[in-house]
Amino acid sequence: MLRKFFVAIILFSSISAHPVIFKNGKVIWLTQNPSFNDIRFGVSKTSNWLIGGRFLEDRKSNETFALVNNNYLAKRWNNRNSQANLYLLSSVGLNTKNSKSMGTVGIHGDWEDRRFMVMQMLEYYSHSSALVSNTRLAYSPYTVDYSKTSTWLIAHYRIEYSDNKYSYMFFPVVRLFKKNYLVEIGSNGDNAFLSFMTHF
Amino acid sequence: MKNLFLIFFLLSLGFSQSKVSIQDKEVEINENEAVLEVLGMVCSMCAFGIGEGFAKTDFIDKSKFTDGVSVDIDAQYVQLGLLESTNVNPEKIVQVIEDAGYNVNLLFILQNEKLTKFSTDKLGILQPIAYNLISDIDN
Repeated sequence: MLRKFFVAIILFSSISAHPVIFKNGKVIWLTQNPSFNDIRFGVSKTSNWLIGGRFLEDRKSNETFALVNNNYLAKRWNNRNSQANLYLLSSVGLNTKNSKSMGTVGIHGDWEDRRFMVMQMLEYYSHSSALVSNTRLAYSPYTVDYSKTSTWLIAHYRIEYSDNKYSYMFFPVVRLFKKNYLVEIGSNGDNAFLSFMTHF
Repeated sequence: MKNLFLIFFLLSLGFSQSKVSIQDKEVEINENEAVLEVLGMVCSMCAFGIGEGFAKTDFIDKSKFTDGVSVDIDAQYVQLGLLESTNVNPEKIVQVIEDAGYNVNLLFILQNEKLTKFSTDKLGILQPIAYNLISDIDN
């Protein structure tokens, strides 16, 4: 159970926004909950490629992981009033206590306009041999200009396949962002998470 | 030939009002300014990256707008204040937008009383498609 929650936290913290940002832009993600501290930092070397580091702490087991993220924007469709993206994601790293290696590979597609967003991501985690699907459907009840706070209501559905069995989880999520700051809060009664992101 | 004169006459009328059209919205443009239609700019985090990109250039007049840049996400355009002494290369403006991850569809630059309109072709290459001299601009 703890391992599944660990995987879920990795996923939720990695899908809160675009995996690659503007050239030379830097990004910080912070995710905190009763079980984990998760700190990430990344730099977009180009408008197609972001590389970064990550430190993840499991408060209960005292396990910590040091990882390198590598996100690549394979294709972007910029249209009038909408945008679609296809990303390839990977990360490699070590358990800092026993130096066991850990790696992930994934693919992420999304489409959004000013009111609606759909996202689908598939990722494989080597340490648990888990294949995870995350789907998001989002709606913004109002549109605002650049300087005001934007609100998104997100339905998040997650399917995990590991140890020859499936598990399912649904999360309602609220996303708020203004300029270069983003906060997401989600809970389904049993599990909750908080994510913060900033670009600079 | 008559049609050509008519087109230039209509364009001249538009230019004398110092307005350009972006997605059916009329945008006022003044001397030493640029207006760009940006495709794919659908969120404020997108707009932030564009502002950061222009802040690092040497042709932006930061006394105009907010640090030289104004963004309208709904109409998908960006307006820039340009330094008076700089003849801006339109390719540099487009490069900033592309480094932010977006595409320019239309670009208008008004400098030295000359309004130049550029459009990207199918290969994404910027092409001047219309121009005129302006003599009655309100600065």
